[in-house]
Amino acid sequence: MGDYDRRQSGGYHRKRRFRDDDEHHDRRNQRRRMDSAPLPVRVRRQLLSIADSPMRRWSEEVQNIAFMVTDNYDDENLRSTFTKLAIQLHLEQPLKTPFVAAVLLVANTRKSELLGEFLTKLAESIESKIALGEWRDVKLHLKLLACLQSTLEGDGVFPLLDELFNRAADLQTASSDDTIGTELVKIIQLTIPYIMVSAHGQFHQKAAELMEKTDIIASEPHALQALVDPFIPESEDKSTASPSLCMLLQKQLQAEAGKDWELACLPRPWEMPLEDVELQEKLSSPSKHPLPAINIPVTVIAGPHPLFPEVYFSVYADQDAQSVPPSTSIASSLIRDGLIDTINILNYNRNVTARYLMDLDCYFAEGTFVKRATPFDELRNFPSNSSTWKPEDVAVDTVFSQIFQLPKAECKLVYYHSVLTEACKLAPAAIAPSLGRAIRFLYRNNPRMDLELSYRFLDWFSHHLSNFGFTWKWAEWTSDTDLPERHPCIWFLKGALDKEVRLSFAQRIQKTLPQEYHKFVGPEKEKDVPDFKFSNPDTPFSKEGQEIGALLRRKATDEEFEPLIESIHAQATEQALDPLVTSTDVFMTAVCWVGSKSLSHVLACIDRTKLRLLDVGAKSEAARSQIVTSVMDYWQAHPGIALSIIEKLLNYSVLTPFSVMDWALVAATTSNGTDGGFSLAQPHVFELVSHTVAKVTTRVRQLYTSSDIDEEGRAKETKAMRELFQAMNDALSSWAAGNKDEMMEDGDGTTTEEAMTRRWGQRWLRVFQRRAAIEEAFLLEAGKTAPAKADDSADAELIA
Amino acid sequence: MRPNEPYSTVDRLDRPSAYYNKNKRRRDHRDDDANGDAPAEPTVDPLANATTLYVGNLSFYTTEEQVYELFSKVGEIKRLIMGLDRFAKTPCGFCFVEYYTHQDALDCMKYIGGTKLDERIIRTDLDPGFEEGRQYGRGKSGGQVRDEYREDFDEGRGGVGRAIGSEYDDEPRR
Repeated sequence: MGDYDRRQSGGYHRKRRFRDDDEHHDRRNQRRRMDSAPLPVRVRRQLLSIADSPMRRWSEEVQNIAFMVTDNYDDENLRSTFTKLAIQLHLEQPLKTPFVAAVLLVANTRKSELLGEFLTKLAESIESKIALGEWRDVKLHLKLLACLQSTLEGDGVFPLLDELFNRAADLQTASSDDTIGTELVKIIQLTIPYIMVSAHGQFHQKAAELMEKTDIIASEPHALQALVDPFIPESEDKSTASPSLCMLLQKQLQAEAGKDWELACLPRPWEMPLEDVELQEKLSSPSKHPLPAINIPVTVIAGPHPLFPEVYFSVYADQDAQSVPPSTSIASSLIRDGLIDTINILNYNRNVTARYLMDLDCYFAEGTFVKRATPFDELRNFPSNSSTWKPEDVAVDTVFSQIFQLPKAECKLVYYHSVLTEACKLAPAAIAPSLGRAIRFLYRNNPRMDLELSYRFLDWFSHHLSNFGFTWKWAEWTSDTDLPERHPCIWFLKGALDKEVRLSFAQRIQKTLPQEYHKFVGPEKEKDVPDFKFSNPDTPFSKEGQEIGALLRRKATDEEFEPLIESIHAQATEQALDPLVTSTDVFMTAVCWVGSKSLSHVLACIDRTKLRLLDVGAKSEAARSQIVTSVMDYWQAHPGIALSIIEKLLNYSVLTPFSVMDWALVAATTSNGTDGGFSLAQPHVFELVSHTVAKVTTRVRQLYTSSDIDEEGRAKETKAMRELFQAMNDALSSWAAGNKDEMMEDGDGTTTEEAMTRRWGQRWLRVFQRRAAIEEAFLLEAGKTAPAKADDSADAELIA
Repeated sequence: MRPNEPYSTVDRLDRPSAYYNKNKRRRDHRDDDANGDAPAEPTVDPLANATTLYVGNLSFYTTEEQVYELFSKVGEIKRLIMGLDRFAKTPCGFCFVEYYTHQDALDCMKYIGGTKLDERIIRTDLDPGFEEGRQYGRGKSGGQVRDEYREDFDEGRGGVGRAIGSEYDDEPRR
């Protein structure tokens, strides 16, 4: 279990305390035993912690391990422990790859058989990872192999990279939508620097030839790239599009080649200090090994992780002092690549990940970064020839690059939230100012960001603050609180504060805010139980409303409601109202009110009335829409609760995904929630629609990855999903173009409000067009594999 | 973690605590076990496919809705059961969260356990599944046992331990 368990158990608890003591006792013993620990244990311990110490005694650590292993080469157990761990370590903690390589290089000067055996194992693993399409592992293996380039015969890794490139070229020629080829090119590009740093001063020609080839693919913008751009320009100006990672890498590599492959940021732990001149000489003329044959299948596969072109995103891009490597420098890609992999791979221990973020400078060359916790303002005073890169900024930037990765981050977003939280706990004084600048960048750019990313920002921001007493310098945005209600800044403030309240409560959040913000957390949010509108005798149908409420309270049978419902129907018909819609409002509002004590209460109440609700929902689209309206109206001050209720109503099939989407965007029925397009400018409506669509797409994917093939179900659900996307596309296109009827009724299309609504339409449209495109891509892939290999789909489910 | 998975180079946060393994006599010294030869486990692990989590150290004032909001961040919640004082039937500082999938439960251990909810660091533990009766505190006073003998003053959990500070008036927070 993690450390946090122990830290927080402040209370008196005899059992727990006893166990704690016991554990400390154990640890002390272990430490005393350290020197006498068996050799494999010592090798394991030292290899695991290599380069972790800020003392940077790289050569000492490297030699210690290498000597232990080579001096006891005959110990088979030791040899296999070392080999296995070296393979595992560079796959799990990739920032340590150059250091693992250094141990192997030093060991090679004393026992060349060791490296020979290791290369065989490594080559085997590379081959199997290529076959499985585990491209990240392939990249990590190649990185290690590249660091060993100086010990390889002939051209070393280059022929392998050439072969990989050939596959990429074939794939790209076959289809411009191909993503595997792009991924292969990226892997090749990220491997080259490690070859060049290992075999210093050699292979310039080989590298140039390979880069000439990758240039063809890298310089061509990928077909899917526009969909994953984090920014959506307000005008159709292509020049503002974000560059793809491959394109950037290509330019960075060319620039680095022009500087004679200086690669200043990469560590060179195989360079020994002066006193070890003898070892250094041996390292410069190592015994060479042939690279074992690595077979690359003719058709490579995408593997278990969906591949998309990547776009470079930095929250510190527009600062006056360069606190992170500029995107023109290869350092920006190399540091980030190593750190991204570390973050994503170590998702099972966020404490270790946070440590890595804080200790980032340990794993790169001396002078790559400024001293830890250097204030940003001081960077401007640094001489021009020294680095101004803040390790905290690079770390925070990298985590945000994952949160803002489109279409989807590798891990659940909440993981990255938790990593930033832990980092803040480890070094609050160093991290908090970096986060502050990141938040300001994101806030400023929120209006031009992809709407899904704006939502991720809002969600992270409120969750993060909830871990730190909800403190933020709200005063700096005070002037924005008066912006029009459809302004993106208001969208953000309203959404973030609502989420804060959901994680806490209104009175608490009010205390953290300047007066100007109190309108976002008004008195209606303080009420745990909203008023029941039918308690007011002036509300039409108040009598029936109260009586239905009373019946629900005492869990009356369904028949007892019938007379009241019929009475509402009769009165409504007289008043020329839709009878069913009217009675649905009374009934659903009463359900909400009776269940207002907690979610359990309302769920129990819905459970009891499920049949009636199902019946009503099945009768008319307008009634279904009214169910959504009644829930949203009753809980308008607490949209989070409304959304939870609607989610359950979807699970019960009282509502359909289509009806929710229709309510929010299409306005086919009178009881809709579009509010002249205002719904588009509401953060919780985006949340609602987004979750609803996710429910549908998850369901379809389950059907395709499940082991028992249900062709009928697949076809039915796929059709429903496509219809949903199509309807959304139609509705949002009209909002985006400004020709939605509801919009045209109000004005001539020239007011600021209308312009803002159109912009909201555009931002929404892009999000759901992307979602649709991704699902189509998934269906295309599933169509290729699913029918042929039914047995494999079970495995796919396990992996997913 | 499944029993046959090789040990990773870093400890995992999605392991159950010692609570459910308390019957196992032998301590598992895996940290320094270089061989990695785990002894075969013949018994079926009740947590191997667990979708439920026990959540502890909640404030008595933390609501279902707050729990929903936070715990939904790792996946859709199937069921939430608030822990109640056996006599007063008021929240007494724990709950069970049930997800639809085992993976969501593991992710919750990794990403939510040890973070704050309602400004308290909460504890999560994998649980074999809720059974009727387990929603009630098992202490003499009706609450959780840990609240009987606490020496510290914890405002969110009814002040001092109940066996020590005999009568402490609960002031409602809102």
